Amino acid sequence: MDRATYPGGVRAPAHKRTAETQVEALSVPARLVVPLSQSLGAPSRPIAQKGETVKKGQMIGRPDGYISAAVHAPTSGAVAGLERIIDAATGRPADAIAIEPDGDDAWTDGVGEPRPWQDLDADAIREAVADAGVVGMGGATFPTHVKLKPPKGKDVDTVLINGAECEPYLTCDYRVMLDRAEDIVTGLRLCMRATGAERGSICIEDNKPAAIACVREAVRSQDGCDVRVFQTKYPQGAEKQLILAGLGREVPTGGLPADVGVVVQNVQTACAVADAVVRGIPLIERVLTVSGDAAAVPGNFRVRIGTPVARLLAKADVADGFEELILGGPMMGKDQFTTDLYVTKGTSGILAMRRAAAGEGGPCIRCGACIRHCPSYLNPSRLSTLGESFLDGNLDAIDIAMDHGLMDCILCGVCAYVCPARRRIIHLIEMMRGERRKALQREREKEQAQKAERMREGEEVGL
Amino acid sequence: MASDAAQSGPQPAQAGLAVGHWPHLTGEETVAQIMWSVVAALVPAAVAAGYFFGIRAYLHISLAVGTAVITEAIITRLRLGKTTLRDGSAVVTGLLVAFCLPAQARWFVPIVASAVAIAIAKHCFGGLGCNIWNPALVGRAFVHISFPTDMNPSSWPVLTGDHFLGDVGTAVAGVPEGVQAVTGASPLALAKGIANQGYADVDVLKVLTDAHGRGLWEMAVGTVGGSIGETSALLLILGAIYLVYKGWVRWQVPLAYLATVVLGALLLPLYLAGGTGGTEPAAWQPILFAMPDVAPRFVLWHLLGGGLVLGALYMATDMVTSPITNRGMLIFGAGCGLLTILIRLYGGYPEAVCYSILLMNTATPLIDRWTQARIFGYKR
Repeated sequence: MDRATYPGGVRAPAHKRTAETQVEALSVPARLVVPLSQSLGAPSRPIAQKGETVKKGQMIGRPDGYISAAVHAPTSGAVAGLERIIDAATGRPADAIAIEPDGDDAWTDGVGEPRPWQDLDADAIREAVADAGVVGMGGATFPTHVKLKPPKGKDVDTVLINGAECEPYLTCDYRVMLDRAEDIVTGLRLCMRATGAERGSICIEDNKPAAIACVREAVRSQDGCDVRVFQTKYPQGAEKQLILAGLGREVPTGGLPADVGVVVQNVQTACAVADAVVRGIPLIERVLTVSGDAAAVPGNFRVRIGTPVARLLAKADVADGFEELILGGPMMGKDQFTTDLYVTKGTSGILAMRRAAAGEGGPCIRCGACIRHCPSYLNPSRLSTLGESFLDGNLDAIDIAMDHGLMDCILCGVCAYVCPARRRIIHLIEMMRGERRKALQREREKEQAQKAERMREGEEVGL
Repeated sequence: MASDAAQSGPQPAQAGLAVGHWPHLTGEETVAQIMWSVVAALVPAAVAAGYFFGIRAYLHISLAVGTAVITEAIITRLRLGKTTLRDGSAVVTGLLVAFCLPAQARWFVPIVASAVAIAIAKHCFGGLGCNIWNPALVGRAFVHISFPTDMNPSSWPVLTGDHFLGDVGTAVAGVPEGVQAVTGASPLALAKGIANQGYADVDVLKVLTDAHGRGLWEMAVGTVGGSIGETSALLLILGAIYLVYKGWVRWQVPLAYLATVVLGALLLPLYLAGGTGGTEPAAWQPILFAMPDVAPRFVLWHLLGGGLVLGALYMATDMVTSPITNRGMLIFGAGCGLLTILIRLYGGYPEAVCYSILLMNTATPLIDRWTQARIFGYKR
């Protein structure tokens, strides 16, 4: 079997405890808290009033701007009001709409009925996807309708559906590929039509033979579509690495996949596209994995958006006294400081770990492991020492780091994973990026202030 | 603040949850594992040193390692408020320092060499990972210049095969009675003698073959004169194979180093009488063309003689002081090899490995800068 791959990366223990666990559809919880900020870009604006009765699938948050996504009620019930919650992706406070379910779980009008979708054109597909509030469900949560509209002058010829699921522990995409192969292929075809691509591939790592067979069967009769098998290696599912491995194309620095004629969508996003266009169902639920070494009964669950994380931890029988809660995978997921969180469209995994892995890093001994494993061909050792140099007061360190590809890092964490000195390389890289953003912001403000000053002076002279 | 968090580990938080930055998984390897594996790889040669050079070899090893560990403990306690002995790096340095010393050096030589290696070469530059030059080699260079008679004895103990653990350490004052040992020049000193006399006047083959009955096999096994840890090429290679297999010694450096020495020995012109036995008039010519039948032996002599195997496998491959990129390692190894063979063939001093590596250590940052990889998404 031809198994594509890319230079770098690491073969990490898979810990896929839940691979053979069927997806369990969880009942609607007693209370749902639906975050208004579930996509990259601006949070949506709440359009449901406190006390109002909403139906399942009714829009409760309207997109605010071009890069923003709609939010819908995951079940029918009464709006209990607007709440301040912690956004798991950023760790910062954010707005959410609390809903008290009425138990009917009744759809709003016109949802769930088959639509004449075979002849829809690209704009109609994008409109349906936007109306359904579909975002990238691999974790990046970029609004899908925006991704399906390639920038002017960029021809997209290939759509890749990302079923690599290279993060350890996570198995939700694998289960979805087994359960919903037909829908994934329909989603792929719709994405191809929306972007004008002639070819489409579903990309799966070779440690999932059942999924490969299942999706291959579903894709058999489709012209221009196929399944591509990739070596099992983290971060195989990283967008740029997937494109390089699958198509031999390298996304230019600072560029988008569209620059090399590619659009990449996660398998669950493809399902959501199919739901949205074929049946008019908005994105109100997803499949996620609850696992980790502190989870006694790990599993894959189909849950409504807004389901409390604490309920899922209880479902997996997570023992008290676990020390680390990760939302996402263990390689790129975010540690949480509270369990008072709610499932969003981008929540692929909830991991309860017994022991926090990271410790205090030692000095770099220049073993070069990070360089040999970096999928972006960077020198993470150098970037990390520049980060330390910045913390020691060398303000030029960030400019030097820019020359070493500070912005080209995909933050996959392979360097820190392989580092024998346990250096906190990604943390230092992120810190430098944050400092650079702040510096740019300060510069902009200064310029604006100077401009305003000049204008005032001009007015005075004019008087 | 991000900058505070970057310096410390996971922060305690609400509900007893620890918060750290991703990735939340780490690999198996640790710095301590790497360093102690290097120690393990050096143990066979260290044990054999006692067989070749007597109990005094163990004395030197103990003094060098002990001094390295104590110096490291004191300085890290002063600098960092904690000791970092568990990482094993001080033991590696101490062992390598001892390996570079002749058995008959006086007792304080290993102490001085080790103290200089750890205190000056390592910690004055910022400690583990920050030093520019290989600490062990700096220590050796220091005592080499400070105590030349200890480091360049005119006569080295050369043990016969049936000797075991006899104390020849007092060889400075002469070999004690009852020990079956002969003294003679080290292979490299012999080679240098030939070079200084002019290869033309000597039957190179005869010298290389017959010198004190020390043939190539003895040089490979280690029963020849030399520093205590450098003579047994076979045991050193055995340890290095393990380290290369684990990926902690990169093959690029030794390969480039040894290959350059081989090419240099074969192809650099020597003032040679042509024909085996010197039957033709002397001229500057490569040994490969002048004496093709002697050339392989000459090459092996250079490969096995002196500290080349120790240097190429354990000193030049020091992660901290050699380039971090694969291409850089090849350039670095080739540079070490070229300097080594140039000094050996044309320099006035027999052992070239130490200074060759130190000079190339100096060039390491530059080589790293030259050999930076193309970043993903950029055109060359």
